[in-house]
Amino acid sequence: MPLNLKNPQVETRDQRLGTITQWEGRADQLVKDSAFTYGCNKGCDNGGRRLCEQSTPFAQASMCAEHIAVTNATIIQDSVVVQHSPIGCAASQSFTARYYRDLAARRGWELEDPKSICTNLGEQDMVFGGVERLEQTIRDAFERHKPRVIFVATSCATGIIGDDVDGAAKRVEDEIGIPVVTLHCEGFKSKHWSSGWDVIEHGILRRLVPQPPTKQPDLINVIHLGGPDVFTPLLGPLGLRVNLVMGGNTLERLAQMSEAAATVTMCFVLSYLATGLEQEFGVPEVRAPLPYGLDATDNWLRDIAKLTGTEDKVEAVITSERARIAPELERLRQALKGKRGFVAAGAAFAHGLLADLRELGVTVDDAFSFHHDPIADSGDPQQDSLGHLVETWGDVPNYTVSPDQHFQAHAALLRAKPDFVICRHTGTLAVLAGRMGIPVLPIFYSNDGLGYEGLLTIGRAILRVLPRKRFYDDIAAHSSFPYQPWWLAETNPYAAITEPA
Amino acid sequence: MLSPVTNPSASSGEFCSSPGAIEQVRYGCSLGALASVIAIPGAIPITHCGPGCATKQFHALSGINGYQGGEFHVPSSNLGNQEVIFGGADRLDELIASTLKVMEADLFVVQTGCIPGLVGDDVGSVVRRYQKRGVPIVVAETSGYRGNNFTGHESVIRAIIDQFVGDDKVDKQPGLVNVWSLLPYQNPFWRGDLTEIRRILEGIGLEVNILFGPASRGVSEWRAIPRAQFNLVLSPWLGLSTATHLQEKFDQPLLHEPTIPIGAKATSAFLRRVVEFAGLDRARAEAFIAKEEQEHYVYLRDFACFYAGQTSQYQLPSQAIVISESAYNLSVASFLVEQLGLHPGPFVITENPPNEFRERIQQQYRALADHVGAEPLFEQDGHRIHELVRARDYTGQLPIVFGSTWEAALADQIGAPLVEIGYPCTDEVVLSRAYVGYRGALQLIERTYTTVVRASTMA
Repeated sequence: MPLNLKNPQVETRDQRLGTITQWEGRADQLVKDSAFTYGCNKGCDNGGRRLCEQSTPFAQASMCAEHIAVTNATIIQDSVVVQHSPIGCAASQSFTARYYRDLAARRGWELEDPKSICTNLGEQDMVFGGVERLEQTIRDAFERHKPRVIFVATSCATGIIGDDVDGAAKRVEDEIGIPVVTLHCEGFKSKHWSSGWDVIEHGILRRLVPQPPTKQPDLINVIHLGGPDVFTPLLGPLGLRVNLVMGGNTLERLAQMSEAAATVTMCFVLSYLATGLEQEFGVPEVRAPLPYGLDATDNWLRDIAKLTGTEDKVEAVITSERARIAPELERLRQALKGKRGFVAAGAAFAHGLLADLRELGVTVDDAFSFHHDPIADSGDPQQDSLGHLVETWGDVPNYTVSPDQHFQAHAALLRAKPDFVICRHTGTLAVLAGRMGIPVLPIFYSNDGLGYEGLLTIGRAILRVLPRKRFYDDIAAHSSFPYQPWWLAETNPYAAITEPA
Repeated sequence: MLSPVTNPSASSGEFCSSPGAIEQVRYGCSLGALASVIAIPGAIPITHCGPGCATKQFHALSGINGYQGGEFHVPSSNLGNQEVIFGGADRLDELIASTLKVMEADLFVVQTGCIPGLVGDDVGSVVRRYQKRGVPIVVAETSGYRGNNFTGHESVIRAIIDQFVGDDKVDKQPGLVNVWSLLPYQNPFWRGDLTEIRRILEGIGLEVNILFGPASRGVSEWRAIPRAQFNLVLSPWLGLSTATHLQEKFDQPLLHEPTIPIGAKATSAFLRRVVEFAGLDRARAEAFIAKEEQEHYVYLRDFACFYAGQTSQYQLPSQAIVISESAYNLSVASFLVEQLGLHPGPFVITENPPNEFRERIQQQYRALADHVGAEPLFEQDGHRIHELVRARDYTGQLPIVFGSTWEAALADQIGAPLVEIGYPCTDEVVLSRAYVGYRGALQLIERTYTTVVRASTMA
């Protein structure tokens, strides 16, 4: 199914990819079910069943697509984000500002606060509509900051009252002469927050990437979740230049995406953009499994080399990189011998961390993924990152899909009894693990585990946190969670909620 | 300059929930009052709202604001397309039923977000069915478009008082007081401050329902609210509507102290007023005050060495700029002007206090010290706040800014050190630190002048 870039609203990943947020079982079963249901058109004899989402009547606060879309619009330089919403949606401004300042320091940008304005809708706006105020706020945003682009993000409230946000954006855009890009990111529209990536990538593809005047054959787009440029050291020796996009970038970088020789995506959860660049501008998408672990990194580099005509250089790079990290990798494997890990992250990123841990010799029988995409936008089975993981590294016997539900994570951790937890989206899981006496390695910048160096980065980081067990054990002995005793003892995250109150 | 947007439905005296577009937000929405529920030991909010609402509010108010942490595993209906189209009351019913099977609490507070308000869920009748079964559960309407976390806080308190504490008038217990003061989590120092407030009130012979935070005994204190001899509102306006309601409901008199005292002078005077109001044993109270002052002034005596420049070459700030919600703004401004002897600079109040209270707040600033007053400004929008502050003339002064993370750039521009005292506060890790009372004042001095010294030595 081609991506529909005509419509200002992106089709949700629930619709495009059959994304689910609740599932429990063996990873190899999930792989088969996903392929059976979406990959080979029902009926291929792969031992799979129709993929069924589980459900539970109890639920805890999660995250929404608006948060992801707005954060990633805010960290684009020279932008202003207008949140067309009641004031609460803009509560994220403070952590987005912290994130932006950290990025600015890393990227050598001016250290300043990002610009975002909330229309701050009240009750009267719910009755009469907020379009006028939106138009005025866009004008004010332009006057105040002279940005080069303005993003307008919707909210649950404006989605329900039906404000014509696109019309307002267009009217003011014609006045002020810079792109006003709408982001339709009502939190209720998708089951999973990762749809927010699609929303911002959809907006970028529609409005901020021009038809290329020329091609740059040595330029490779790297779409990443955020963090330092760990790619140039890998791709530079092949004679390639990295165009690092998403996770904080400039409008120039976004604009030149269409000129690149190829696109790689560091987490297939974000692959909407790469698929769109191939569809709209003919920039090929590298589909090799992601570079987590030695062999996968070798193959990923070879794939890029093939697409960019640099095959003559790639074997030398692989040999020298492997040799460079070998002694330290051996030291880390010795230090981590016999340890049991637990991975909690979003889909493809979780699969990558699982591969890293297994390459490091850590036993990982338990994983907690915040959602599951049965297919990628490309439809290419090569991008089945869970399938690749199971094939390369074996099954994950306890594979839980849950949108960061605290009560389910408690059960999963009680079952796993790991020596440490490695997690992203640390809102729930990091402190839960800590308070259960389990050292935790939170990953904010998700590039940490990539490539050859990523194995060292992750291994060293785990060793840094293991001694904190002394602190966490103390806390665990002196605090408790307000669950009923039967749930505190439960080890099945999807156990039926049937106990009497 | 953002165009002011007037609220057609707000007559004077009514809270204007939406005073115009806002850059650099300084408060949450009504639903953010779930933080107040979390602040009550033994209470759990049940949120009926979109999937990201509760998390966003708590992570903003607690997570990155002083890195306060806290018990966040909040049941939420995470409303989706289906509930928006068909209504979400059934989903809420299912969520409450399952919450009771999985979680344990002394009190559940159901809070609604924007979605049920807009689609018209009859949340009250769902919750009443559980109340009739004797479940300790209340419901508060906290749609995000109806107000901010300050007004949401009062809605939540009203719900607990009317639906949980009950209507029975009971015998009063002399010397028992209910304290309504700082907004939990919004003020990063609320835990330490409420602990200090409890300590000094106990010191003069009161028994205290502090109601929120580590110093509270939790829900049992809430049950004891009707027994209190009186209500103490220790803030410029927050808590007044609660205390007025209790006055009518339980015949409890109300003592309103707009300025939370910081430092010995203000604290001792405050305690003496409480002693008079409550008819407490003066001798006992004076003994406590004397002991506190004796210790306090030893520290101030020794701090005077630094303040006088005995061994240091630092340029000490001479003028105070305070940008924060009114409770801390008024307290910190008073302390700096009256007790440390700084000149008043711009004081900007940022939480959009209801109009009916503004004149009373202004009066407080007009008498910060003998013959020294100031006119506070009311403004929510960060961009305009900074324009107002930059427009002042600081010739001959060395200003210091007390504000939030948003003031970092402003402070740089005017060459002033910044002490973070309010939301959002991302450069402080706060556990039990207090800035009010006797002990808090010393910590505020420590933080202030450590900041000054570092700014001098690192520049």
